[in-house]
Amino acid sequence: MNATLPVLTGIGSVTPYGPLAGLVPAEPLEPSAITAWTTPELRRAFLVERFVPASIVPGAKTRRLDRLSAWALVAASLALRNAGIDLSLMDRSRIAVFFATGFGCVELTEAFFQSADANGWAGTDPITFPETLHNAPASHVALFHDLRGPNVTVSSKSFAAESALLQAASLLRHGQADMAIVLAGDTLTQAVYEWYEAANLLSPACFNSEPLPSASGFIPSEGMVAMVLEPAGRHAARPYAALCAGRWAAGGDARAAVRQLLGDARLDFTICTGNGAPCASSSLTSLARDLVGEDAAIYPAPAVAAGMGEAGGLLHLLLALSKRPGQGQALMLGRSAHGSFAALRLELF
Amino acid sequence: MTDAQKTIVVTGIGAVSPYGIGVSSLQTGMLAGQSCLRPATELYPGFHGTVAAVSALPSLAEGYRYSRTDRLAMAAARDAVADFDGLASDLRESGIVMASTVAGLSEIDAEISRGPSAWFRQGGLSRAASYPVSRVAASVGEHLGIEGPDCAVSVACASGAMAIALAANMLLDEAAPMVLAGGSDALCPFTLSGFNSLQALDPEPCRPFDQNRNGLNIGEGAAVLVLETLDHATRHGARIQAVLRGWAMTNDATHPTAPQREGMGLACCIQRALEMAGCGIDEVGYVNAHGTGTPLNDIAETHAYESAFHGRSRPIPVSSTKSYFGHCLGAAGALEAAITITAMQAGALFPTLRLTDPIEISGIDWLRGELRRQPLPVAMSVSAGFGGSNAALVFGSHRA
Repeated sequence: MNATLPVLTGIGSVTPYGPLAGLVPAEPLEPSAITAWTTPELRRAFLVERFVPASIVPGAKTRRLDRLSAWALVAASLALRNAGIDLSLMDRSRIAVFFATGFGCVELTEAFFQSADANGWAGTDPITFPETLHNAPASHVALFHDLRGPNVTVSSKSFAAESALLQAASLLRHGQADMAIVLAGDTLTQAVYEWYEAANLLSPACFNSEPLPSASGFIPSEGMVAMVLEPAGRHAARPYAALCAGRWAAGGDARAAVRQLLGDARLDFTICTGNGAPCASSSLTSLARDLVGEDAAIYPAPAVAAGMGEAGGLLHLLLALSKRPGQGQALMLGRSAHGSFAALRLELF
Repeated sequence: MTDAQKTIVVTGIGAVSPYGIGVSSLQTGMLAGQSCLRPATELYPGFHGTVAAVSALPSLAEGYRYSRTDRLAMAAARDAVADFDGLASDLRESGIVMASTVAGLSEIDAEISRGPSAWFRQGGLSRAASYPVSRVAASVGEHLGIEGPDCAVSVACASGAMAIALAANMLLDEAAPMVLAGGSDALCPFTLSGFNSLQALDPEPCRPFDQNRNGLNIGEGAAVLVLETLDHATRHGARIQAVLRGWAMTNDATHPTAPQREGMGLACCIQRALEMAGCGIDEVGYVNAHGTGTPLNDIAETHAYESAFHGRSRPIPVSSTKSYFGHCLGAAGALEAAITITAMQAGALFPTLRLTDPIEISGIDWLRGELRRQPLPVAMSVSAGFGGSNAALVFGSHRA
C-alpha cells in the first residue's frame, strides 16, 4: 500500500438496504410501491424504510430535520464506528465533512413552499427555513460530533459524489485536514418523482410490478452513504480501498482523459456508474470496453445506485466493494448522456 | 512543484451587482461610496423591507432554461474572461466552481406544493429543471463552452469564499489549467421570507458593527474570479491582479444557525489562512468582514478579530461592504473577494456605511466615514454562514 494515498477506512449507509455499518448484502433489490404520497396508480422506487435514528445513534435528535440531515447523521456515525475511530483522541478541528447532493434538503424545501402557499410568504415557518439549506446535513454531522474542520457541501451535474471524494482527498493532500467524512445522498419526494415522470425519464418498472427490465429509463432511488477517508497507515484502520487518482469533467475527450489517468495501471475490475438516464448506459459500456478490453471484468451500474443520480457515486462504490470477488486495481467510471464523465482509480483491499 | 506552480493568482474578475453589469461598475460605485439599498414592497405581499436588486440583467433567448441566478452567474463569468480571447483551448479545459444558495428556487412558485404534476403541466417543468444548485456551474460552462471539472458549492453564506478556496485546491492538484470560481444568487421570495421569519431582516438600511444594528438586508449579484497558477499566468502573459496567498475553512460546530459567541471557529479559520499565506498579523492591512448587521453575527465576528489579531502592533482595519448593497448570500464571499482586490489595487479602504456607534472593543480600527487611502499590499476577506461554516481568503499584491 502506498502510504501517501488516502484510504477508505469506514463505511456507513442509510439506503434501501437499511441503515448499515460496513458493506451491504449486495443482492439485487426490487423497487417498492410509493406510499408517502397519493399516486394515481402504482408508482415504484427504491426507498429507505422509516427507522428511528436515535435507535442507531444514541442522543441523535432528528425530529425537526429533513430526512437527508437525519440520514447524514446516522451514516456518518456508522462510518466512524466502522472505521474504529475514537474521536476523543483526535484533533477535531482538523476533521473535515464533505457532502455531495443533487437536490439537498428538498423535503423541507417543499414543506416551506407548502407553508408559504397556506399562510403567504409573510407567514412561513422560521424553524423549517435553516433546515432547507443544502449544507444543513453536513453541519448536523459537524454539530453532533463536534467536527470543526472544513465543512463543505457540493454538487456537480451527474458526478457530485465523485467530485466530493476527490476534493476531500485534496484537503488531506494539502494538509488542510487530517481526516474527512465524505457523504453523498438525496431524498426522493413527490415533486422530484413527478418531475422525472413528467420529463419522461422513468423506467417502465416504475409503473408495474414486473421484474427489472432492461428498457431505457431509470428507477429513482434515495439514501445516503458515508465513507471515512484518511491517510494510509493508521494502526487500527482496516482499509477497504485506496484512492489512487481521479478526475471528473463536464465534457471533452473522456477516453483520452481516462487513459491518461490510468497510465500503466493494470485493471482487475471496472465499476460502471452514472445516473441511469436514457442513453447513458450504452455509451458508458462502450467506453469501458474500449478502455479495458472485451475480456475485462466490468460491473454494470446497479439500478438502485443509478437511480440516485448525481449523488449515487458512493453507493456505486459501496455496492462494488460489497460484491467484488477479490482484491486488485479498479476503475470506477461514469459518463452521462450529456458528455460529462468521472473516473476514479482505486486499489481494492 | 516549483513556487510558481504552487502560487495561485487572480487574472480575471467579473461581477454583476446592484451597481450594474461589470466589475468596473462595482468598483466605481464602491469608490464613490454609493449605497444601492432601496425600500421594496413588491417582492411578495406583506414584505416591507430594504433590498438591493440588479436592474437591466439581459434576458436570454433560452427563456426558463436558465434561472435568474444562472443568468447573473453567466454575465459575471463573461465579464471575468473578457480579456482571455487568445486562450480558447485553456479556457475550454478550465474548471468551474460556482457557489449558490438560491440557485433555481427563484423560478419556483409556492403553488407547486398543491400538486407538482399540475404545476409542471402549466409550464413549470423547465423552470423546475433549474432548481439543482449544480445548474449554476453547468450554466456558466454551457455559456462559455468550458468542459473542465465543474462543481457547485452550497454552504450558506460562506459559499462564495469556499468556492474560491476549493478552486485553489483544484489548481494545486493540476485538475485544470485555470478555474473560474465565484458565486451567484438572485433575490427571491423563498429566501426573503425565510430570513424574515427568523426576524433577521432590518427594514431600514443595515448598520453592520453598529451597537444599534438591527439585522441584514438581502441583495443579489454574482462575481467570478479567474484563478490560475503563477506559472501558467506568466506563460500566457496574463495581467496578474492579485495573489491568493492563503485560504482556510472551518466550522463552529455549536449551533445550526447562530455563530459560536466568542468567534473561536472563525478565529481559527483566520489563523490558518494567515499561516498558509506565511503572513504575520501585522502584515494584514485590511479585513473585508462578513459583517451582516445581525446582532449575533457581528459580535461573534468582532471577538474573532480580537482573538486572531491579538498582539498586533496597531488595531486591524475592518469594514463590512454589505452596507453598500446588502448580503448577496452565496455570492457574497466572491463579491467581497472582488472588492478586497479592488481595495488593494486602488489603495482604498472602504468604510462601513452608517456606522455611527461601533461595537466597543480594543484592537479593531472600525473603518467609517470617508474612504481611507493607503497602500495595501495584503488584505483579507472573511465569510461565515448558517451551519457554523467559516472561510477566510488572504490576498496579496503581485509584488508584495
